[in-house]
Amino acid sequence: MSELAAQLLTPWHRSASASVGLYFYFIRLAFLKFLAYRVRYYTGVVSYTIFVTGHYYVYSALFASAVAESATGQLGGLSLPEMITYVAISWIGRSFYFNAIARDLARMVQEGEIAVMLIKPFHVQTVMMFEAIGESAFRLLMFTLPIMVVIVPLFHIQSAPDPMIYLWTFVSFCLALVIYSQLNFMLGCLAFAMKNIQGVLRAKMVSMDFLTGVVVPFTFFPEWFQVVMSYLPFQYISYVPVTIYLGKRQGAELQEALLVQLAWAVGLFLLGRLVWRVSVRNVIVQGG
Amino acid sequence: MERLEKRGTEGFWQRTAWQGRIFSAYFGQFVKMRLAYRMDFLVDTLAVSFSMVIQMAVLSVLFSKIRALDGWSFEQVLFIYGFSLLPLGMFNLISVNFYGFSDKYIIGGKFDRVLLRPVNSLIQVIFESFNVSGLNEILLGSAVMFYAGTKLGLEFGVLDLAVLMALAPAAALVYTGVFLAITSVSFWHEDKMGLAPPVYNIIRFSRYPMTIYSLPVRVFLTFVLPFAWVAYYPATWFVGDQQLPWLALLTLPVGLVVFSGAVFIWHRGASRYASTGS
Repeated sequence: MSELAAQLLTPWHRSASASVGLYFYFIRLAFLKFLAYRVRYYTGVVSYTIFVTGHYYVYSALFASAVAESATGQLGGLSLPEMITYVAISWIGRSFYFNAIARDLARMVQEGEIAVMLIKPFHVQTVMMFEAIGESAFRLLMFTLPIMVVIVPLFHIQSAPDPMIYLWTFVSFCLALVIYSQLNFMLGCLAFAMKNIQGVLRAKMVSMDFLTGVVVPFTFFPEWFQVVMSYLPFQYISYVPVTIYLGKRQGAELQEALLVQLAWAVGLFLLGRLVWRVSVRNVIVQGG
Repeated sequence: MERLEKRGTEGFWQRTAWQGRIFSAYFGQFVKMRLAYRMDFLVDTLAVSFSMVIQMAVLSVLFSKIRALDGWSFEQVLFIYGFSLLPLGMFNLISVNFYGFSDKYIIGGKFDRVLLRPVNSLIQVIFESFNVSGLNEILLGSAVMFYAGTKLGLEFGVLDLAVLMALAPAAALVYTGVFLAITSVSFWHEDKMGLAPPVYNIIRFSRYPMTIYSLPVRVFLTFVLPFAWVAYYPATWFVGDQQLPWLALLTLPVGLVVFSGAVFIWHRGASRYASTGS
């Protein structure tokens, strides 16, 4: 029993602090790796501005038509300035938590690089999560901040109703990063069983922004859809952090949202560990 | 070698026929390669249909709140969306090698091989690979258009069919021209920034009626980056108030001009290609 506990606490006969040091090193590595490709992110700023601009016009027309028809001025519980803020914060958040772990993992499995990863003394899942954190740290500085500098003044984005909300929104997006990276990781694990997961990745690409609420807020949807989504982790990637920013969740509601988000993050990490264990059992590496 | 040169120089029509045979051989090779991965096509069909279902869900959710978007009904917007998939499918079918052209052909030196062969360099690059999922987009786009057209009670005569047959490829030429021009830039300097993705991202907003955009945006999409011509303008032949029906027909010259311009840039670029030597 004590042997098992020791195995769990200090795998590979490494002290806990050494493990922490090791995994944190991957944050640094990923940060530096992405720093080398930073030029690519300049056009990314343009892309994100295009997304927000496009949605700005679509939603402006939508609200104008709604006002002309019924004169309420609100759609799905949001006013037009709130809606524009919703769109902008969604994309600003997305520029932070986004990563391509699923594709990277699938590539490692297909090219056989995974064999080398498997013999190294670390958990591949944990390493990939910390790499995702490193990538997001890079994104925060070199991508999210420039996007904010462009978008916030351009579309007169509303400020948060209370200064503390900025902190909670950031915390929420950090938890979103863990949830997003774990969903991505598990999707990438499909490559062990399917070899080619291009179709799956494409389906993910087109559906993710829809499921997380980036494209349309859930309050626009019929009741049954909102109920279904409330039992799934996707809304905690974007919809929940953005509604926190808008001040739609305050006091107990805010705490509850963050706690459920935390539970999803931990739960999906554990589930990811399980999925990994099962997937790795039948790994076939061709040559390499 | 002698036979090859002879065949290639006996006048324009023979040369064209000879090139045609070569490119059908290219296509044959590609089909054989694809048949090895039949599952991929099925998976791809599912992915494209899935993407369409989501796009349509977004549209219907938005329209559940209003009767008309800036005067455009759900079915009209859906028709424009369906139409936009035809040229997009045609473009996707032939544009695989535009992506990563700089990496594969210029840095990787694959363009040396292309230039050694006595046939058109651009057609070679295009014919070396196809994206079969383009066929899915064409089929499903037609289905969406048919559905929206029926709902709208459009009368679809022979003339309309002829216009559709002419405008969809013309709109595809607009796409191809824009992305070919961007691809050709890599002959001059290595595209470290990735110019194509932001331009590609504009496509999804070119499917909405242009009237929702402000004047500068409309001018930009009509004259600078002519994506207004890939869906909205050609589709006005079929839907909308049809005040200016000839406007849709302008897609034809616009497509030809944009595409010829891009081909010109391509050949200018190809002529100054200096191999990496690898």
